[in-house]
Amino acid sequence: MAHDRVPGDEERHTGSLVTNRVLLTLLVAALLGVVLLPFASMAPNRLMSGQAVGVTAAMLSWQWLALAGLAGILTACALSRPFPARLARWLTLTAAPLWLLLALYGLGDYASRALQDASPAARVSQGAAFWILVFCPILMIIDAFQRLGSSLAVRGLYSVVLVVLVGAMFAGDTFDALSIMREYANNKGTFTAEFLAHLRLVGLALGPALLMGLPLGLLARRHPTARGPLFGALNFFQTIPSIALFALLVAPLSALGEALPWLKAIGVGGIGAAPAVIALIMYSLLPVVRNTYAGFAGVPATTIEAARGMGMTSRQILWKIEVPLALPVILSGLRIVTVQAIGLTVVAALIGAGGLGAFIFQGLGQYAIDLVLLGAVPTIALAVVADFLLQILVALSKPAGMR
Amino acid sequence: MIELQGLTKIYGDKTVVDDVSLRVDSGEFGVLIGPSGCGKSTTLRMINRLIPASRGRILLGEDDITRLPVEQLRRRIGYAIQSIGLFPHWSVAKNIAVVPGLLKWPKSRIDERVDELMGLFHLDAGELRDKYPHQLSGGQAQRVGVARALAADPEVLLMDEPFGAVDPLTREVLQDELLRVHRHTRKTIIFVTHDMDEALKLASRIALLNAGRLVQYDRPIELLTRPANDFVRSFIGKADLGLKLLSRRWVHQYQQPATLRGASDESVRISGYAWEVDKEGRPVCLHGGRLHAEDTQERTGVTPEWSATPDMTMKEALSRMVWFRVMVLPVLDSEGRLVGEVTMHGVMGQQPCA
Repeated sequence: MAHDRVPGDEERHTGSLVTNRVLLTLLVAALLGVVLLPFASMAPNRLMSGQAVGVTAAMLSWQWLALAGLAGILTACALSRPFPARLARWLTLTAAPLWLLLALYGLGDYASRALQDASPAARVSQGAAFWILVFCPILMIIDAFQRLGSSLAVRGLYSVVLVVLVGAMFAGDTFDALSIMREYANNKGTFTAEFLAHLRLVGLALGPALLMGLPLGLLARRHPTARGPLFGALNFFQTIPSIALFALLVAPLSALGEALPWLKAIGVGGIGAAPAVIALIMYSLLPVVRNTYAGFAGVPATTIEAARGMGMTSRQILWKIEVPLALPVILSGLRIVTVQAIGLTVVAALIGAGGLGAFIFQGLGQYAIDLVLLGAVPTIALAVVADFLLQILVALSKPAGMR
Repeated sequence: MIELQGLTKIYGDKTVVDDVSLRVDSGEFGVLIGPSGCGKSTTLRMINRLIPASRGRILLGEDDITRLPVEQLRRRIGYAIQSIGLFPHWSVAKNIAVVPGLLKWPKSRIDERVDELMGLFHLDAGELRDKYPHQLSGGQAQRVGVARALAADPEVLLMDEPFGAVDPLTREVLQDELLRVHRHTRKTIIFVTHDMDEALKLASRIALLNAGRLVQYDRPIELLTRPANDFVRSFIGKADLGLKLLSRRWVHQYQQPATLRGASDESVRISGYAWEVDKEGRPVCLHGGRLHAEDTQERTGVTPEWSATPDMTMKEALSRMVWFRVMVLPVLDSEGRLVGEVTMHGVMGQQPCA
């Protein structure tokens, strides 16, 4: 959102009626979505495509009336009257999550009501309007926080409360009737295993990528002659498509596994985790090395000269001056590779590495869209959470003098 | 004491510093000056071994600096560069405490030292201790930089164009403060600049370098009155040579007894002017002494702007005389009492001697 983020900026335009265009745009988008797109779909079984159901048909009247009421309050928040700007933002931060929870509850409630008299094979899935009703309030919340310029602590606490509330709905029986949760119930044992496998793959890739990437980045900073070849090689890996790289690794690794039985014993082979982890490491290396290099290169030369001139040893200069000043940039690199690795690990399921991608490819094979979503939605959630946590880490790593 | 003996620095086939020998005695304020690329900064950095010398020796006191472990040497030598050299992620107090921290002083002693130095540089410790460099003004940051260089009480202080990045007004204030601190601590200072006025104001000895060679090493007044060659003459600049000279002369050198106004107006008639003082000896006004001698009846009220102190430069005293269009200026002591006078005739009459 290329929005002007100067706090209090729009208060000055008292002449215009609309003070928050972002909020109003989101409301219009939600309205259009609700009118034009299905909220849910009902199918006789998991493989057949369903019949579209609109919001007013799916929800009880009190539910969609409440939704409309919240939309009314939010519309008032986007205007210059009647609420003062600050109040409008806090009101947005109250109404938007209520809207979100209501949309979630409405879908689950509809699913349980609709399936009461239907055949056991019948399925209820979420429709496009549902996703719009979920993402619009989230964007409204992000926008309101940016306009308020709230501290990280406030944002963090708010997010935790919201996640706990949504989590409680999942833990309860609100969504149990929904198709995606049926898929979850059918795959309960493997879901946890694949989820953990996904995390393990990401961890196995990031650990070595950091262990190699940080020294390589420092090397690139210290020795300008090494920079060209190093970045050339890493850039080359980055250009290979991920599926191709996975496939390319299968042959040499299976040969290696055959040649050295002890390697095979610890799991190195043509398919499985080994080629996946190696490919993920190769992809992660460039952002880590590049950001490490950029972080160290950003430390002013005069600062280092002053440190030398005062009698700091090279080691003291590295740990007391260079690392603290480079850390925020290095951690932004870690943020990039973490989100990237969580996404790429999905593809690794193709060569038998497991992970949440297994559900996606299984679902694609069976044309069971809800099984695909069982893999995709947690992957997205994982990436969003990791991104959020690392963003906090980046902010915290900024030295107090430079925040 | 710092002594350079035949100091030479060669990069490839380019001799940047060529056989420079000079000695800065303890407590002296030595300034290295010259056009850009003359090797003054390189010379300075060879002293704390940021740059290794190609040939020659440097003695710090009795010790050859190459015999000392390099970090230990640098902790014995204060080093101040432009304000950007402050560590941006550390507070003012932590910046000042760098070298004492490296020398493992106990915490209480470091805290005391930080407060003492902030006091010395008129930095309000209560307000600024926990501030970060980017929150400081240019002048404050520069004071912190010099305070940091002095923190571990080094034998020698090296300064590389430390006031290059501050505005002219602040620079003047910082120069005055540095002179005060120098008088107070009697540190040996080696200061690099390309600004002749700054050199003349600060230095007790000036080394003028050109193309890596030492052209002249002398007291400022000798540089002005007995330049070694045409390069020195042209570098000093001929246009305001007289004013430059006066910037190295002080009011107390030109001061003469004041003519007081007696019971009659006889004194005014003889010298053309006379001072009227109150019971405490503070001058109230001047009778006569204006540009045109016949204005003997004209009275000029004494104000702080229109007066001199013994440690003021003659350049400034002359400037005040010109500005207020009066031929004579009262010299006041710290209590504001009249201790003498400087006159336009005095400025013109005295030979510019070393």
